[in-house]
Amino acid sequence: MNEPLIEVKNLRVEFDVRAGVVKAVDGLTMTINRGKTLGVIGESGCGKSVTARAILNMIPKPGKITNGEIIYHRRVSKNGHGQMDDILDLTKTEPDGKTIRSIRGGEIGMIFQEPMSSLTPVYTAGAHIHEAVSLHHLTPVRKVGDQIAEQVTAHRSVTKEEARAIAIEMLRRVGIPKPDQRVDNYPHQLSGGQRQRVMIAVALSCEPAMLIADEPTTALDVSIEAQILDIMRELQQSANMAIMFITHNLGVIASMAEEIVVMYMGKVVEQGKVLEIFKDPKHPYTQALLKSIPQLGKKTRGERLASIAGMTPDPFNLPTGCVFHPRCPMFMAGKCDKITPQWKEVSEGHYASCLLYEEV
Amino acid sequence: MAVAEQPISVPAPAKQRQVSQSYWSLVWWKFKRNRSAFIGGVLLLSMYVGFVLIPEFLAPYALESTSEYVEAPPTKLHFVDSNGNFSLRPFVYGMERKIDVKTRSRTYAEDTTRMYPVYFFTHGDPYKLLGFIPTDIHLYGVDQKSDPDAIVLLMGADALGRDWFTRVLYGGRLSLLIGLIGQVLTIVFGTVLGVMSGFYGGAVDQVIQRTTEFLSAFPEIPLFMALAAAIPQYWSQLTVYFMLTVILSFVRWGGLARQVRGLILSSREREYVLAAKSAGASDNRIMFRHLLPSTMSHVIVIATLAIPGMILAETALSWLGLGIRPPLTSWGTLLQDAATVRAIHTTPWELWTVPFILLTILAYNLLGDGLRDALDPYGSR
Repeated sequence: MNEPLIEVKNLRVEFDVRAGVVKAVDGLTMTINRGKTLGVIGESGCGKSVTARAILNMIPKPGKITNGEIIYHRRVSKNGHGQMDDILDLTKTEPDGKTIRSIRGGEIGMIFQEPMSSLTPVYTAGAHIHEAVSLHHLTPVRKVGDQIAEQVTAHRSVTKEEARAIAIEMLRRVGIPKPDQRVDNYPHQLSGGQRQRVMIAVALSCEPAMLIADEPTTALDVSIEAQILDIMRELQQSANMAIMFITHNLGVIASMAEEIVVMYMGKVVEQGKVLEIFKDPKHPYTQALLKSIPQLGKKTRGERLASIAGMTPDPFNLPTGCVFHPRCPMFMAGKCDKITPQWKEVSEGHYASCLLYEEV
Repeated sequence: MAVAEQPISVPAPAKQRQVSQSYWSLVWWKFKRNRSAFIGGVLLLSMYVGFVLIPEFLAPYALESTSEYVEAPPTKLHFVDSNGNFSLRPFVYGMERKIDVKTRSRTYAEDTTRMYPVYFFTHGDPYKLLGFIPTDIHLYGVDQKSDPDAIVLLMGADALGRDWFTRVLYGGRLSLLIGLIGQVLTIVFGTVLGVMSGFYGGAVDQVIQRTTEFLSAFPEIPLFMALAAAIPQYWSQLTVYFMLTVILSFVRWGGLARQVRGLILSSREREYVLAAKSAGASDNRIMFRHLLPSTMSHVIVIATLAIPGMILAETALSWLGLGIRPPLTSWGTLLQDAATVRAIHTTPWELWTVPFILLTILAYNLLGDGLRDALDPYGSR
């Protein structure tokens, strides 16, 4: 029962810098389904974060979306009764127009990897949530037993007392102790984990249909990381929220995502169900990536941890054919460096782009 | 063997209130410890109250009340009369004017036969306190009703026989206000343009930065002259006064804009800007709600240290006859009265304006210096 929420089709994002044009994302296609978690993994600089920003149409200068579309199935209520999907291409929205601004935060929330600096230092935790809520004129406080109030979010500004109540409730939901006191704390009075929770509370305060989590736990220690992941899972279930989870931590992705997209140099190289990819990776890059994590219980005495040979290629001067071929252990001379591999279904619901699975 | 288990009484922990010192309480704490800055602040506060709010009360006479004591020297306060009797209440002697026929000059001598005690909270010229409370109480004065010749001129009189101290008080109102209002305008121009310049970069930045360069490269006095000359003569004095403040701040916003731009350039790359944007905040919101507040402590210091320049500029312009013109009274126009060699020779008490200007500038500098230290409460010292 997969219902698409965001469909990225053939997306290309280019950065026109002085030294040349960098294709940060090159022909990327993927689908994020309503209420599901899509994991996006890859090395630093492979275009994960740029893809996330492209969805919110906030590519930093001098970047530009040069091709492709991002279809957003926007759920709108028609005159208060019944809902229908409105199809919107996010790449076509005005970068600072009203439409995209109401989607940002209101319908697609985002959390960043730097909890230390993601909160404005001059505002309290409560003020951040108040701002997010008032920007979208939502009153997400639900009346018990009132099903209609749950569906229809009122388009009026919240009062100060309501905003404070919402803020305390959100802080409580993300597991901050003594939320009624913490609500008045400034970012510098909170610990890193608490700040990240506040960020999550801000992103979730408008009950978005999707949350983009850009390495949300990279800067946190492991115990806090586990708590944050629990909170995200719990909130996802209660609000039927889709999550695009960007990380380079394979362990985290295995526990969070249902489906995984593996990116390399701006391209998706493999996609499939999480278990299948971990059990039976098809693309040599994914295989190498999985080999490079240490495994508990495996006899590895005397062995060194595997690493991927070579360096990521120069982005100005990408290799011909398959971009991974200079580092690939299965390199087939005369083929991989000449022919660009196609997107191919290797088994049901499991895709890869590698010449190993093409008859050339 | 059953040892009765003694319940260990743990003293209930004293209810601890979470003490978190806010930034501003730290600033206040540090500011209070800096004695010279504190004195400067108190001095300025009392000056603004005295000169701007209640000069009518402090002055013994109305601004326009003239007398026959033209260019009279300051009257001396006495406690002991010519017979050696001490009185706790100070008194002044009457003044007798003599005209030297040969040199055609006026001299004043004390007439010890007439004694006028100085009363406090006495009745005098009627005025409206703070603009709306009608009263005629003055801080001090002599009884003019029983003897119209009685007068007290602590700082002498000018060429129309007006009390110089009264004029200094009223002049302070315009001079101190022009510094404050002008600086508020400068802050508005400087921060808005500085934030836009830093946030948008590119063409907006270029235009704003080149404009500040142009303005700062322009020699100030000729620019003031040109702008002051552009003020139509038929405008009311009050309009001219406000135009002057606008002109002063128009010329001086550049430096502030440049500093704010620098601060914004570094903070606009911070993650919270991105976070605000991803929460759906508009550019204006990011600029003025998220970025601007963090520059405020810097702006306050710069502004405080720049107010003296503003006051001095007004004084200089009015002295040159380009700024405020009589009948409006400011410290600049008062200095203009005292600007001739003849005035310095015959009425040196008209230079009493100068210590007031010096004191104001000094107080502002002390305050600004103290604020700079205090607003960085985490810094050393």
